[in-house]
Amino acid sequence: MEKESIGRLVLTLTIIGIISALTLAFVYQWTTPYIKEHQAVAQEKAVFNVLPGAEKFEEVTKNGHTFYEGYNNAGSRVGVAYIATGGGFQGQIELMIGVNLNEEKIYGISILTHSETPGLGARITEDAYKSNFVNKPFGDYTVVKREAAEQTEVEAISGATISSEKVTTIIENAVSTIQSAYGGGM
Amino acid sequence: MEQFTQVILLFISTVLINNFILVRFLGICPFLGVSKHVETAFSMGLATTFVMTLTAAATWLINTFILEALNLPFLQYVSFIIVIASLVQFVEMFIKKTSPVLYKALGIFLPLITTNCAILGLALLIPLNGYSFIASVVFGFGAGVGFTLAIVLMAGLREGLEFGDVPGTLRGVPITLIIAGIMAMAFMGFSGLISM
Amino acid sequence: MASQLLDDFKNGLWNENPIFRLVIGMCPTLAVTNTTENGLAMGIATSFVLISSEIVISLIKKLIPKNVRIPSYILIIATFVTFTDYFLKAFYPGIAASLSLFIPLIVVNCLILGRQEAFASRNPVHRAIADGLGMGIGFTWALTLLGAVRELFGMGSIFGFQILGAWYKPMIIMVLPAGAFITLGILVGIMNLISREG
Repeated sequence: MEKESIGRLVLTLTIIGIISALTLAFVYQWTTPYIKEHQAVAQEKAVFNVLPGAEKFEEVTKNGHTFYEGYNNAGSRVGVAYIATGGGFQGQIELMIGVNLNEEKIYGISILTHSETPGLGARITEDAYKSNFVNKPFGDYTVVKREAAEQTEVEAISGATISSEKVTTIIENAVSTIQSAYGGGM
Repeated sequence: MEQFTQVILLFISTVLINNFILVRFLGICPFLGVSKHVETAFSMGLATTFVMTLTAAATWLINTFILEALNLPFLQYVSFIIVIASLVQFVEMFIKKTSPVLYKALGIFLPLITTNCAILGLALLIPLNGYSFIASVVFGFGAGVGFTLAIVLMAGLREGLEFGDVPGTLRGVPITLIIAGIMAMAFMGFSGLISM
Repeated sequence: MASQLLDDFKNGLWNENPIFRLVIGMCPTLAVTNTTENGLAMGIATSFVLISSEIVISLIKKLIPKNVRIPSYILIIATFVTFTDYFLKAFYPGIAASLSLFIPLIVVNCLILGRQEAFASRNPVHRAIADGLGMGIGFTWALTLLGAVRELFGMGSIFGFQILGAWYKPMIIMVLPAGAFITLGILVGIMNLISREG
């Protein structure tokens, strides 16, 4: 093998490095607007999903938390949405919750990201489980392993009681965060 | 105290619950390739743990002080892989100079570590999880320990298997994969042990 | 000439199929094949990176000094991977989300680096393209098959279409990590059986 000078080795790597960085800078410039747009659309969909009747929303920051206030056509506030995170069975769960402050009840929830077990804990994303929280009054909830009989009961997913409980806890915390930011029963 | 508990929990969860090989599927190549004998598997685990801990620290610093500070997220993959490759090279030279015995034991594995996806996976998971510097190092160390645990257990099973009567078609890779599947099932028992 | 190209192409499909015969590139193989769609998408993404880097490396192989060839290959591969990652995030956000971490990990897929070292760095560009196509398609069909088997038994569907009726009780284990190892083990065993008889 012929001797190769250190200078040539460094030069080769530097040239490849520079070409690579320039190409990627261009790719980044080109794709970023699309990526931002997808994120914005996804966020919008999530907000409207948990705030029925809202036509537009505004982002507001209170107590260091970001809330999404949804307004209807007439311009009055229908409710507030909030992104809450907490530990699940396997990893972090991130969900969006929408509440009706006037009637002190939950409009609904949608799970944004999670890493629960497919087929078991992952069923927290299914309507059968999420509907547990639709129109639920604020308060402390009990997770039960049968059909929910009372307003404060949440029916667990069979085989995934822990995931069901974790989500319930995240929601309880989220409700109290929203309430303290919006001054209790206002 | 609170922080200390967090760190311990992170360590346990990285080693057992989110084991890099059996739950996250990172580092399968060495897991299948270097798990014929317990001794070599342990050396491989040791070398990997060492590189992983260093990688965790180095990539955290680069990500925080260079990539994020200068807003260059698109260079993340390129720079991480360069860091890992240079780190492995550096560790190799260092061990060669300081401890010929250790070099003899680990030497042949070191170049393989660059293309071990567990290392790059680790580097990428750290910014994704938003760990602090301390947490990153613990995470890297825990990932290495979990890797070592899985690969040594596997080697133990395969050593025993040498005397087993395995049907011809399943000999070699297939039976190794099936054993790995059973081990993964066993590790599922750890999930829910602690919640992060 | 043409038959040599065909041989280069066919090599990856069966004789040296990266997954079933060479057993390399295992991390994404096991991790993302819980559904057919994910397996297919991962296969295509990996093939794209494989073919592009084989072309580039085959073209510039004479300019790269021997001592820095591996770092140079890795740099080129990482560039294509980053491109793929941003491209998917911008135009196929759903796929990007479900493959998440395993797109960047294409960088360290031993298949890609291995083909550069074993093939692209020694052969002219047209043969490198044939090899990349063959290996890429070989990788993709293996991943898709694995995803289909796991999805069928684990959820009773293929590509999201329900195949098995309500009578079928899904074996959840198949879409979990343990099922990935076991399915691949059995498939490699079956491939061994077929090629021994053939």
